[in-house]
Amino acid sequence: MSRLDLTGVGCPLNWVRARLALEELDPGERLELLLDAGEPLRSVPRSARDDGHEVAVAGNRVTIVKR
Amino acid sequence: MTLSDLELERYSRQLVLPEWSGAAQERLRSASAVVVGAGALGSPVGLYLVAAGVGRIGIVDSDPVELSNLHRQPLHFTPDIGLPKAENAAVKLRALNPEVQVDPYPARIEEANAEAILAGADVVVDCADTFDTRYLVNDACCAQAIPLVEGAVLGLSGQVMTIRPGESACYRCAFPDPPPPGAVPSCREAGVLGAMAGIVGSIQALEALKLLGGVGRPLLDRILQVDGATMEHTLISTARRDDCPSCSRVPAAAQSA
Repeated sequence: MSRLDLTGVGCPLNWVRARLALEELDPGERLELLLDAGEPLRSVPRSARDDGHEVAVAGNRVTIVKR
Repeated sequence: MTLSDLELERYSRQLVLPEWSGAAQERLRSASAVVVGAGALGSPVGLYLVAAGVGRIGIVDSDPVELSNLHRQPLHFTPDIGLPKAENAAVKLRALNPEVQVDPYPARIEEANAEAILAGADVVVDCADTFDTRYLVNDACCAQAIPLVEGAVLGLSGQVMTIRPGESACYRCAFPDPPPPGAVPSCREAGVLGAMAGIVGSIQALEALKLLGGVGRPLLDRILQVDGATMEHTLISTARRDDCPSCSRVPAAAQSA
């Protein structure tokens, strides 16, 4: 599983970095993100779902399964 | 992924687009575009291509900036009056995005220099204001199998078509014969509102970005007509002509370009 620490990275740059990391993965592979509370934790999981990925949130840890 | 931190930040609002991607951005960065004309259409085209991160852009214009240009050519400012448009455009575009290589051609595009000016381009955006130039650019793009975005604006109306030589109708397929001299007033005589040129140029820029990024469905075999007075948009179908002197002999190998 790939990991990306995006704490301290604001919107939308955190989602830009996550998207580029997802582009490098094959479908079904996982990407784990660490995000700040507030807007990042509200927005990034939603953006990932909008792009069709499977998303699980636990605390500030977000796991994305690439579609 | 090789986009730098500064590039990620500069292009972040397009990188988050579902239709766009890091791969599309990299395709854009490695692409070369030539904009023919640095006037009413060339201004928005140049600005949006450079802002979006096209790797290299050539901009062709032989005229100097005049006071009467400024209402419709937002690359040129009042203190620029008298400067060559191509060079002035290059200064402005480099200031907008120093990551982009901008090559000015302070010349009129002609049969003698067209091949050299357009060589190596991945897309040409025709922002010229005469039919002679439009046919010349179309023919040169067909000869070199370079995708072309044609645009025109007059008064409150405009039109755009996108051409992949050998694959879709070229300008000469759609308009086989130039209008007789004097039948169509030039921009100079007929007038134009700057905002209308901005709309048409922006559509041309979007078409070029779609071609370069490999996204969306370009205006192939379709002519978009925009009536700025009513805001009616009309799509007119067109098709290749087997006997087109410009594009009927484009080699098959070029057709997937």
